[in-house]
Amino acid sequence: MSTEKDFYQVYEVFSKRTYKADLQYQFSLLAPNEEMAFAMAQENFMRREPVVDIWVVKRENVRKLQEDERDSLQRLDNKDYRTAKGYGYLKKKWREYEQGMLDEKEILSWGDDK
Amino acid sequence: MSQVFETAEAALESPSYTEALHELLFRLADDDFLLAYRGSEWLGLAPHIEEDVAFSSISQDTMGHAAMYYELLEELRAGRADDLAHLRPASERKNSCLVELANGTGTYLENPHYDWAFAVVRHFFYDLYKMELCKVLQKTSYTPLQQVARKVASEQVFHLMHWRVWFRPLMKVDGEAKTRMTAALQRFWSYSDELVSYGSQEVELVTHGLLPAQEEFKRSVLAVWESELTAVPQVSLEEVQKVTLDGRRGQHTEDLESALCTLRSVYETDPQTVW
Repeated sequence: MSTEKDFYQVYEVFSKRTYKADLQYQFSLLAPNEEMAFAMAQENFMRREPVVDIWVVKRENVRKLQEDERDSLQRLDNKDYRTAKGYGYLKKKWREYEQGMLDEKEILSWGDDK
Repeated sequence: MSQVFETAEAALESPSYTEALHELLFRLADDDFLLAYRGSEWLGLAPHIEEDVAFSSISQDTMGHAAMYYELLEELRAGRADDLAHLRPASERKNSCLVELANGTGTYLENPHYDWAFAVVRHFFYDLYKMELCKVLQKTSYTPLQQVARKVASEQVFHLMHWRVWFRPLMKVDGEAKTRMTAALQRFWSYSDELVSYGSQEVELVTHGLLPAQEEFKRSVLAVWESELTAVPQVSLEEVQKVTLDGRRGQHTEDLESALCTLRSVYETDPQTVW
């Protein structure tokens, strides 16, 4: 038997505005089960906003980062190669090579093949 | 209390200190470099695609740690960091044999029949050791190394978390996983002394304040390993024969030579090129 205290559970609500849009976090609400949470989400909050999809999930089913796990987010700033800007120097390199391909020495050497 | 050296210039004024420091840095660099290389060979072969990306990222991080150690060596006039990583022959490598062992039978290009249980055990237990090492290195006598150790330790937190997530459930189930994990642990255990060994330079490393006493360090690593082993069903390790090879003394398996041959094949086509 559930007591009064744990009858209502916290649910987190997500929605999508269009099929192509990202799923967005909206708000949390109290409900006794997920069907009720779903109905409450629609009737209480979505009535002024068109949506094409709604997700509800019980908050206790969300695996959140624990305080002592925050240290696991540390990354060193030595990973340029993982971002597009890490390759910004390539443009300059290409220009140098293209320049090199058409210099005087190169053009004169073309005759040697004949 | 031994002297603290704040810069490469200060360290270079003492030849015996520089020699011991080179020795330590080559071990640290070569260990991370070879294990990162073995990790990179799993690209495309890990159990599923999310793990493939996660494991590859971790291997890149580890390669980044090796790069920082090789850069410290470059500052200490041991040679160019890229050359130190790629061109030194097997006989000069100071990594533990544990990290050089092939991932399984076959090669990356032909019939790679890699052992995931061994990958999980090797990486997890190596990373546990590495975290203990990072802790003691934050008190080492070479200040620039303290700083690098602090950075490396910050990334080790999630590497450890990653491998623990694989290790625990695989140890708790029966059947094939149990058989493979037991074999992997026993294989790792045969190299465990070799991994923590200070080798022939123990006196120099300790008197220069680079590392704590060998026995003290070994005890702390063993305690960490044992606490992980007690969190899962027991595997018998008492009977495991320890290897007699010692990578710290430049003794290596054939697997190192073949790894070096592959990893330097592009670099040695033109070592002067800026990549």
